[in-house]
Amino acid sequence: MRPPKTGRGGGGSGGGRGLARGGVVSSTRGRESGRGRGPGRVKGRESEPGSGIKGGSKVLVTPHRHAGVFVAKSKADALVTKNLVPGEIIYNEKRIFVQNEDRSTVEYRVWNPHRSKLADAITTGVDNIWIKPGVKVLYLGASSGYTVSHISDIVGPEGCVYAVEHSHICGKVLMNMAEKRTNVIPIIEDARDPAKYRMLVGMVDVIFSDVAQPDQAKILSLNASYFLKSGGHFMISIKANSIDSTIAAETVYQMEVEKLQMEELRPTEILHLDSCEEKHACVFGGYRLPRKQKADSAV
Amino acid sequence: MAMYVLYESSSGYGLFEVHGLDEIGQNTEAVRTSVSDLSRFGRVVQLTAFHPFESALDALNQVNAVSEGVMTDELRSFLELNLPKVKEGKKPKFSLGLAEPKLGSHIFEATKIPCQSNEFVLELLRGVRQHFDRFIKDLKPGDLEKSQLGLAHSYSRAKVKFNVNRVDNMVIQAIFLLDTLDKDINSFAMRVREWYSWHFPELVKIVNDNYLYARVSKMIDDKSKLTEDHIPMLTEVLGDEDKAKEVIEAGKASMGQDLSPLDLINVQTFAQRVMDLADYRKKLYDYLVTKMSDIAPNLAALIGEMVGARLISHAGSLTNLAKCPSSTLQILGAEKALFRALKTRGNTPKYGLIFHSSFIGRASAKNKGRIARYLANKCSIASRIDCFADGATTAFGEKLREQVEERLEFYDKGVAPRKNVDVMKEVIENLQKQDEEGKEPVDASVKKSKKKKAKGEEEEEEVVAMEEDKSEKKKKKEKRKMETAEENEKSEKKKTKKSKAGGEEETDDGHSTKKKKKKSKSSE
Repeated sequence: MRPPKTGRGGGGSGGGRGLARGGVVSSTRGRESGRGRGPGRVKGRESEPGSGIKGGSKVLVTPHRHAGVFVAKSKADALVTKNLVPGEIIYNEKRIFVQNEDRSTVEYRVWNPHRSKLADAITTGVDNIWIKPGVKVLYLGASSGYTVSHISDIVGPEGCVYAVEHSHICGKVLMNMAEKRTNVIPIIEDARDPAKYRMLVGMVDVIFSDVAQPDQAKILSLNASYFLKSGGHFMISIKANSIDSTIAAETVYQMEVEKLQMEELRPTEILHLDSCEEKHACVFGGYRLPRKQKADSAV
Repeated sequence: MAMYVLYESSSGYGLFEVHGLDEIGQNTEAVRTSVSDLSRFGRVVQLTAFHPFESALDALNQVNAVSEGVMTDELRSFLELNLPKVKEGKKPKFSLGLAEPKLGSHIFEATKIPCQSNEFVLELLRGVRQHFDRFIKDLKPGDLEKSQLGLAHSYSRAKVKFNVNRVDNMVIQAIFLLDTLDKDINSFAMRVREWYSWHFPELVKIVNDNYLYARVSKMIDDKSKLTEDHIPMLTEVLGDEDKAKEVIEAGKASMGQDLSPLDLINVQTFAQRVMDLADYRKKLYDYLVTKMSDIAPNLAALIGEMVGARLISHAGSLTNLAKCPSSTLQILGAEKALFRALKTRGNTPKYGLIFHSSFIGRASAKNKGRIARYLANKCSIASRIDCFADGATTAFGEKLREQVEERLEFYDKGVAPRKNVDVMKEVIENLQKQDEEGKEPVDASVKKSKKKKAKGEEEEEEVVAMEEDKSEKKKKKEKRKMETAEENEKSEKKKTKKSKAGGEEETDDGHSTKKKKKKSKSSE
């Protein structure tokens, strides 16, 4: 257990509050919020394995090539997003505080590529994630909402994220998260059946699919036919073992790509995510993209 | 032939009429090109009617019906009102396009409106969805998203059976308020004492309790008016006749100055305030106790409401408390000492907030640490049951408490405590029996509930032991097992869950064989 943000002063063997041997704790570590009094107190862990940034060390935050994403440079680089709800963290991730010229602090949350496939894709070097401020995203397979929260940071208050998750246990965590972030719309429903939640979703610009099901290509295409605008984009993460664990990974990726192409989901990039996971790939692409040099259906 | 299209949105139902059907034909490709451009699309499809949902509850009903593919009365009346009448015997000259064929067949059965849901319709609906906010003039930008958000939250909450009563936030807020109140009441009471002492300094030494002091000062008012007649009243408040006499005598020989009636009134009002706050604090404490028994009955039964509430608030939520390992729970609240000890390689603290439960005090100095560890383990179990199990029973908590008592006795006298496996078995057995036989007369139920607690605990222990052996995620598995355990208990009520429980048991071979053995034992 690492030092959390609240420090209740307990003496060595005399546990409990009020036994102030050696003086009352008046810890003024910068991020304490009144010794744990008051709501909104945050229990954050200081270090995440693999990020190597200690709280309080000098960090420089610069924008990433992708809009809405930032890079924090210090001893080790980290991918960060600007926190939409300052003061709240989702999964004990670290936060980085940067002082502006006008003395206000901007809060960034560290994005862990080991936990999030999108972060992994960005660090591997994808050309375009299509998710930027103001965009509407449909996220299939939202799970507890870790990646959803970062996407919600990126799209900001103008955009919105429709998070679909079937499991009730993860759904509860997702809903708690969505209560704090008003641009996340939680939908606890099976993604195989977009007709069931068609009343809750508008037209989106990007679909992000991380469902790890054997029929995920069909799931994606069905949802796209309902909700993805023409000229919209998608990202699907393919776990080779969940499609077919007997054949080679490359073959699986090819099969999935062909399935997608049949449904007018044209892939533009295929990325192998080998740094953090095994036998995973990410496919980015577009939906009903206007075809060049075709006489009849040029839009 | 006229064609209409029904679009269900989170703010209401919309009916659109499709013109220029012959022009487009049923060619999806052409439809697509027209869809993307609003002006072209607007010529093809026009809004006939829009029926906004009356209230959030109404919207929730509609979305539930739509997800099932069922037509509600509101939808029916909306359609019948706005579509041309279907005459008996004649073939209707229009058709209604829908996203879902199931809903279509429903509508057709009830109202004889012919429905279709082919690719063409789906393309049209895509267009409607894209440009919906432009069609409905009343909807400001952002309104649609807000209605989607609200509706999605209520729909999802219904899905996960979000129980308002089991929100742990109330407890966390209540315990913070309780602490703040204590501090404030103390400061105010000190102020009353100082203020009134200007008039009657001796009273401070006679009456030590803050609350009593406030009452007495309010009653005495002006000390010069104090006579023997006041003794019964004072006795009633102070509870001691001697003290009352002391007060009267001190009043006669007091060296305090006189206060004007206005000043006295002010002091009195303030004293009244203090008393009111103290009463409120009592009510708040009762509220906290009820809330704890709602959200974490086992934890409350094991270590008491106050300590339990403090643990929950320190961890941040009941789920956080359940997720942390029992070693963390043991020293929750002594973080400063812990990290200091870790950094300087000294001795880490043995207990944190747990120290305030009665058990630690009863153990001898040598055994305090052992009892703290044991208690923390049991608290972990209790909090996990509370967080993830469905029912609100104190069965487990009470049995766990008995176990801690037994352990204390063991340290005192060497009486060997029962094996955990046996205790849990008893609790589960009893809970099962309780469910199967329904309501029992009071005596029998008391006995049985004790047995059931033992059984439940036993299975918990076993479950915990088994999980420690395996390397899977402890939390999820325990949850599942709690669910299966609880589901076994509620055999009659939730038959569907039982089959699920059966399925879950089979997935886990080692555990299932043991469980089956236990079940056969209990049935014998």
